[in-house]
Amino acid sequence: MSLTFDILLLLLLIVTALAVAWTKDLLAAAIIFSSYSLMMCLLWQHRGAPDVAMTEAAVGAGITTVLFLVAIGRTTRREK
Amino acid sequence: MILTTDIRDAATIVIAIFGGVFFLVGTIGILRLPDFYSRTHAATKCDTIGAGSLLLALAVFNGLEASTWKILALVALVLLNGPTIGHALARAAHRTGLDPWHAEEG
Amino acid sequence: MKKALVAALLIIISIPMLIAVAAMPPHGDADSPVHTHVSARYIEHGEEEAGAENLVTGVLLNYRGLDTAGEVIVIFTALMAAFAVLITHPGRGEESGPTTAALDPEPGTEPESDSKAPPPISPVVSFMVRLLTPFTTLFAIYVILNGHVTPGGGFQGGAILGGMFIALTIVLGEDKVRTLLPRRAAPWMQGAAVFAFVAIGVIGAATTGYFLGYPTDASLHLVRELMMVVIEIGIGLGGAAIFATIFLQMEAE
Repeated sequence: MSLTFDILLLLLLIVTALAVAWTKDLLAAAIIFSSYSLMMCLLWQHRGAPDVAMTEAAVGAGITTVLFLVAIGRTTRREK
Repeated sequence: MILTTDIRDAATIVIAIFGGVFFLVGTIGILRLPDFYSRTHAATKCDTIGAGSLLLALAVFNGLEASTWKILALVALVLLNGPTIGHALARAAHRTGLDPWHAEEG
Repeated sequence: MKKALVAALLIIISIPMLIAVAAMPPHGDADSPVHTHVSARYIEHGEEEAGAENLVTGVLLNYRGLDTAGEVIVIFTALMAAFAVLITHPGRGEESGPTTAALDPEPGTEPESDSKAPPPISPVVSFMVRLLTPFTTLFAIYVILNGHVTPGGGFQGGAILGGMFIALTIVLGEDKVRTLLPRRAAPWMQGAAVFAFVAIGVIGAATTGYFLGYPTDASLHLVRELMMVVIEIGIGLGGAAIFATIFLQMEAE
């Protein structure tokens, strides 16, 4: 059961990572990257690293996404 | 004693299934509903009542312990945050001039 | 052609990686090098040697304190590099009016940015952020101060504090938040982690002879904990200030 959950999370990680790379809309890519961070956070927590999970949740899913959104707002939304 | 744990287990199961059903309905709503506003409405229901009742089920399952109060604080946070996020999303969409879906179009 | 080349290159790179993965010891193997080298000692004696119930904090601040100090300095330097790119006019404020105009490359871009003024913040969102701010701050302080007992610590609490700052900036506007983080205080806040590390390190050097040395005597248990908490507070404040100022700098015109 535990291993199944891990494998599921890893598969979702790969899927979201590929989606970030393939998405041409940078705004959508930033949001997908945020969900990637969420998966990563769950994986850290599940593998017994709550310290890293907290950092990932606060920095990865929270602040970097905001900074990405601000940067996109200052530049262009589409990847050329 | 056995009776109280039975009641607690039953309450946990009922509340958890309620939350799970809300999540299921909300997810179907996100996939099936026609426009941004109705999908936001479905997603907000998921986040608020679905996650809220799942957390409540955990609190009931936990009984009266220190961590129960933390879970209840999380429930309060979810109940406050979910509707706010839904409101912010719908407001932003409305401000940028997104038209709601009308039946005659589809 | 190009895509086939990329695919071939990726396959060639992935072969040694997969071989390396196959050569790794099985997951959770007690005889793997990771578990037989130093971590066994950390797990067995970490609590009384490092003085932190949370082993991660013990390793970060005590066993590997110098590495963490270096990491903090690297983050601070990265912030300086980011500022070198982000700041288009001196941060000194009002008294540098003429220099600002001189440094602004295209005065014609200003009206365009004015026309794209963001819509007013929703009162509901504003109220919710202001309502939750004290709780968020309390949680961040709890995470920072309790880092040596429970998961968390300076980095995590600082990130939460910085996120709260960003939410407040979005809701209240830059001017009001600037009263919480004045321009003159901001550089000192950003360097808080470095200052805390250097101060504690020098105190350690003066008392034990080693930079970042902690008193090992059992009777000085509280002193050691206090030194760790000071470092955690420094990291937390520094992290929060760094995140907040990066955001403020990116938002600033």
